[in-house]
Amino acid sequence: MMAGLGLAASASSEPTTGYSFGTPGAPGLIDMPSAETRPAGEFSATVAARQGDSRASFNFQFAPRLSGTLRFSESEDLGAGGRKLKDRSFDLHWQVFDEAGWRPAIALGLRDIVGDSGQSSEYLVATKTLTPRLRASVGLGWGRLGTEGGSGGTRPAPSGDGGFNADQWFRGPVAPFAGLSFAASDRLTLKAEISSDAYTTEVGNGFERNTSLNFGADYKVNKSVSLGAYVLHGSEIGLQATIAMDPHDPPAPSGFEKAPLPVRPRAAAASDWSGAWSADPTARPAIQKALSDALKSDGQILEAMNLSATGVEVRVRNETYDARPQAIGHIARMLTRAMPASVEDFTITLVEKGMPVSSTRLRRSDIEAMENRPAHEFLARTQITEAGLGNEGFATSTTVYPRVKYAFSPYLELSSHQPGQSLHADIGLQAKAQIELTPGLLLSGTLRQKLVGNIADGTYSASGTSPAIVRSDINTYKSNSDLAVQNLTLAWYARPAANLYSRVTVGYLERMYGGISGELLWKPVASRLALGAEIDYVKKRDYEQHFSFADYETVSGHLSAYYDFGEGITGQLDLGRYLAEDWGATIAVDRELANGWKVGAFATLTDMSSAEFGDGAFDKGIRLSIPLSWAIGKPSLATFNQTLRPYSGDGGARVDVDGRLYDTIRSGHMGELYQNWGRVWR
Amino acid sequence: MSRALALVALAALSLAACSRDSAEIGAKSGAGPVKGTLSKVLPFGKPAPAHPASPEQIAASALQSIEGPVLLAQFDNGAAVIFAERGRNGEMRTYLSPDGRSLSLRGGMIAATRGFGRDVMSSDTAQSADLISAQQGGTATRVQYYLDGDGRERPYPMACTIAPAEPITQTAGEQSLTVTPVTELCDPAKAQNSYMVNETGQIIASRQWIGPRMGYLTITVLRD
Repeated sequence: MMAGLGLAASASSEPTTGYSFGTPGAPGLIDMPSAETRPAGEFSATVAARQGDSRASFNFQFAPRLSGTLRFSESEDLGAGGRKLKDRSFDLHWQVFDEAGWRPAIALGLRDIVGDSGQSSEYLVATKTLTPRLRASVGLGWGRLGTEGGSGGTRPAPSGDGGFNADQWFRGPVAPFAGLSFAASDRLTLKAEISSDAYTTEVGNGFERNTSLNFGADYKVNKSVSLGAYVLHGSEIGLQATIAMDPHDPPAPSGFEKAPLPVRPRAAAASDWSGAWSADPTARPAIQKALSDALKSDGQILEAMNLSATGVEVRVRNETYDARPQAIGHIARMLTRAMPASVEDFTITLVEKGMPVSSTRLRRSDIEAMENRPAHEFLARTQITEAGLGNEGFATSTTVYPRVKYAFSPYLELSSHQPGQSLHADIGLQAKAQIELTPGLLLSGTLRQKLVGNIADGTYSASGTSPAIVRSDINTYKSNSDLAVQNLTLAWYARPAANLYSRVTVGYLERMYGGISGELLWKPVASRLALGAEIDYVKKRDYEQHFSFADYETVSGHLSAYYDFGEGITGQLDLGRYLAEDWGATIAVDRELANGWKVGAFATLTDMSSAEFGDGAFDKGIRLSIPLSWAIGKPSLATFNQTLRPYSGDGGARVDVDGRLYDTIRSGHMGELYQNWGRVWR
Repeated sequence: MSRALALVALAALSLAACSRDSAEIGAKSGAGPVKGTLSKVLPFGKPAPAHPASPEQIAASALQSIEGPVLLAQFDNGAAVIFAERGRNGEMRTYLSPDGRSLSLRGGMIAATRGFGRDVMSSDTAQSADLISAQQGGTATRVQYYLDGDGRERPYPMACTIAPAEPITQTAGEQSLTVTPVTELCDPAKAQNSYMVNETGQIIASRQWIGPRMGYLTITVLRD
């Protein structure tokens, strides 16, 4: 708990935390690894470059002792015949033991575990803190890290099938390496190492390896940014920069947004709280107007109100607070200011895309008694239930619909990875518009125009083995970015019955497909389990992404089960038919913090053979979602979503339709409301 | 620029970009607030000091322009903020500052703050409050609640030692005022709260610990 609050915790109880990043973008010395780790959950990006060689690495500490690094690199020294080698690699680093007493920290690692670049390596390394400022590491390296001073056996050749190169791991010559890192000040770290990497290919291309010694220095600019420089083998100078973000350590955990207006307690004794006002026909509209105005200035929309002499239910669409309990708390406080004294029962119904998703029932006297008291005590007095359906008794706000929204913004697009291609990017301008005709009936579209970029300069080829090209030509779509219609759809959301949610979307569903998509979801408010069914009839769009279609059409569909394991962990299983008419299943696991950071992984196995799929054998990837509110310290519904696939193939591909039901309603259901309840009085 | 930084910057830009909503939601969010908060997050560029006027000047002008109860709150870095009372709920009084932050006090002791970034979400200070207003020494437990980095409510329980000092009497013309300085030391935070308590047991000025990485707030009651 203390660490969570940022209080100083004693160093010995913490895992050995890396002083600095090495050139592979993971905690370590320079080229050599150490047994250090980063704070659990931390993300970092490192760019390291020297003459003719550059790399960008993304490191994620999955668990206190396990981290992974994804790296994109370009090297003239490694390419054949003077060409650049463009490569992508993935590393794993596992700290087996942390330091304890006399025992050093010990870690095992695998570098470049997929593919057949011939540059992969493995290591076993121990790191010991000798003085609070000095750490020493010694280790053994295999593969690339066993090339200088190594002995023992021959390393098997890469299998060349594009999968894990496990048959090479810890095989062949093994060589020792060692190094020191010294924290000269709180900001400056000096490093020296004896490298076991012979730079064999580089030397063949003219690299001068004068010595096995490497030296480096690392300067921390602030908590998240550090800059470094190093000298490699007495001949080359390199520079690097790292930015690290720890999801558990936002700049402002409770936010900088304005304080809500406080509760207004009822003045007189309960016996004086007459309901006589309710006979006055002008009272309700006046109250509704006042409440609606107050909510609007708070970033919320009052869709409907059902007010009696003793109770009120409001249906509110929250457009601002990513933590829904914060929206609920604001509404509750406003109700204490807007409602006549006789109104004791407050029911706050959250509405998402026109669908009531849950009702939070509060007693006004509890709100008065427990304002700014611990949130968990208030939760014990709160009931969260299925929202009532239908409009009986409700007065709807007439001024909101049709609601027109539009926005212009810049966008950044990255090319999908193809072997042998560097990462390309475009920057452009995007126009988004949405017209909500009635609650739940949305017409929306996105148009993009590229301004600068080089995605179109790449040479891309669709799969040569797949029975149907359904996703492997994505880069050809990305290359066409002149007034590209990203999507243009009419979507209808509804609640057909208790615990049921439905969606029908028609139009240009995504950049590659148009058609119709229908979905039904069963999800009781308090249930950890949700079940869904989706069916899509789609036609592939032309590369220009205007209004014409290519000649591929198909029906795909899935049955899905979702389960909330608690602590923000959700699992999802989809069974069905995918776009290339392959049948199979997708399994996905996501972990979400209350502050909205979400990391997940997914894999899809279908009856498309791995030979047909091509490189990578089957579809899999990781996805990351960063809430804007985390970064800026103010509430917002905006998030950044990135999905990384090591290989994009045609097997296991699904239509990327916007606004699927589970993610639309989940934040208003019990699991997430409980997880975020600490914000109810924020 | 690293990709992660570029992504964050892009998100901020897209929020700051031109947008319109017929329901007028979010109309107030322009580039200003985003830039302001971004500068707190990104490494380069610190926000400029907000209050060049002296606390005395701020207090004098606040007393003139605001009716009702007013507090002056000073952070350790010298920034002084005026808080005016906007609500009473039982013993709790909530004060708002012009920039939208709030401070809730229960019997003069911090019950909650809002808009500070690392707020006291709630607190249980009843035991300490009893001793302090009675100007008695003794020990008490108090709990302050925060949102941790993940966004969940966390209690921070503390054990406190309360010690009153000799009363001080100040005379200005015919009026005289006797106050008792009381200190409250709370562990494990090593927080040193101090209070000036008048003869009726009210706290008229105090320096109270807000929380980790926040430091202290010095609160003066300008008008009760």
